[in-house]
Amino acid sequence: MIELLESGSFIIDSLKDFANEAGLVSFFVGQGWKSLVMIGVSLLLLYLAIKKEFEPLLLLPIAFGMLLTNFPGAEMFHPTLFDEGQIDWYDLYKTGGLIDFLYLGVKLGIYPCLIFIGVGAMTDFGPLIANPKSFLLGAAAQLGIFATFLGAYALGFAPNECGSIGIIGGADGPTSIFLTAKLAPDLLGPIAIAAYSYMALVPVIQPPIMRALTTKEERMIKMSQLRQVSKTEKIIFPIVLAIVISLLLPSAAPLIGCLMLGNLMKESGVVDRLSKTVQNELMNIVVILLGVSVGATATASSFLNERTIFILVLGILAFSLGSAGGVLLAKFMNLFAKEGKKINPLIGSAGVSAVPMAARVSQTEGQKACPSNFLLMHAMGPNVAGVVGSAVAAGILLAFLG
Amino acid sequence: MDKFANIGWPDMLLMALIGFLIVFFVLVLMIGVMKAMGYVFTHQRKAKKVAAGGSAEDEDHAISDAEIVAAIAVALKLYKSDLHDRESEVITINRITRAYSPWNSKIHGLTQLPTRKK
Repeated sequence: MIELLESGSFIIDSLKDFANEAGLVSFFVGQGWKSLVMIGVSLLLLYLAIKKEFEPLLLLPIAFGMLLTNFPGAEMFHPTLFDEGQIDWYDLYKTGGLIDFLYLGVKLGIYPCLIFIGVGAMTDFGPLIANPKSFLLGAAAQLGIFATFLGAYALGFAPNECGSIGIIGGADGPTSIFLTAKLAPDLLGPIAIAAYSYMALVPVIQPPIMRALTTKEERMIKMSQLRQVSKTEKIIFPIVLAIVISLLLPSAAPLIGCLMLGNLMKESGVVDRLSKTVQNELMNIVVILLGVSVGATATASSFLNERTIFILVLGILAFSLGSAGGVLLAKFMNLFAKEGKKINPLIGSAGVSAVPMAARVSQTEGQKACPSNFLLMHAMGPNVAGVVGSAVAAGILLAFLG
Repeated sequence: MDKFANIGWPDMLLMALIGFLIVFFVLVLMIGVMKAMGYVFTHQRKAKKVAAGGSAEDEDHAISDAEIVAAIAVALKLYKSDLHDRESEVITINRITRAYSPWNSKIHGLTQLPTRKK
């Protein structure tokens, strides 16, 4: 009888322990409710990715990573292992969870660079080579980065955090993640989510700005045919660009180097297998790892605070200013351009990277003003120049604040 | 972070300004490089064309096959979209139940030959 009672109390104690360890209980203890809110946020992002198709390729793994990391007791990600920009290798080996190991790719800047190889292999720099002036529009669209850099400082962020927030204006996900992982890893979750959400919202954010800053006549400007670009030029371009920018700005070399490596693989035509691999398999695998590990950094303690709201507001400001910068510079360039050589200012907004969405927006807006206007290829010039421009801006911020 | 303790507004403004100017400088430098490259390659192509007995002017008006195909495709699309109304493309088979009536019965209609009454 005593044995029976003892085994009964053991089972009850075990059940009590089990109940206490269950995540469900943790939601109602201390700050546990915050995890519940974060699970709600991740479900909302999953809805936006699946139902509304907002950048689903990245938002879906990010949202799921966020969901996994916020289960109380699951201990899949330990931000303390990466405190103050250092990696605690011993503790990582002893206590690290799955996502801790995946996160190393973000922390060490590996995933964004691998993605850039794929982006380079999928990008045609032909329109930029044919019309090098597009580089200017790509540069002007980086206005959003530096203006938001100052805006973030006014709101009380530290200078390194300002750099990471400002880079959202570059509309380039991998660049934002690369820079934030180096400068302000604590803000990685909110910044990645802001960058990718706003990239998906380019067709909503940009058109009102484009219409407000241009007249109907300007939107109707038809641009002349781009010149033919030879294969040799396309092969030499990535080599020259990688050499020039890496020599001037070594801190931008990892991003620019990888972008140009991918492009050279495509344009050389001699490594078709490698080119196809980086465009498809490698890119897809890295997107999964990057998305899940970046999403996992959005823990309740790092995400649920007023700073996240500031980042979201500053992010949209950065996007808008970047778009406006490109359009305004195109208008300014038109003051000096001869008749027939004028630029349609709508292509200026494509200077914020967001390839090829921003170029498509320029095309759509151009056709609304004049149905026979085809701006897509002209807009691709500033669009790919924006990718280079935002990588250069990231290199500069890293050199200043890293 | 201690590293940034001494940074104030003047430093931030200077950093933003210099950063933006460097982006412009690097990309303007690239324009120079690309223009030089374009100049060399365009002249090379023209020289080759002239050497082959063609006119250098033709080069300026050269349009790639892909662009011609794209222009024709767009023209055809616009032409065809003007020709036809877009239909709903929704086909439904609704089962309709009607009360029996000899007036629409096939048994009493087409399949039977009329018989003459004597």
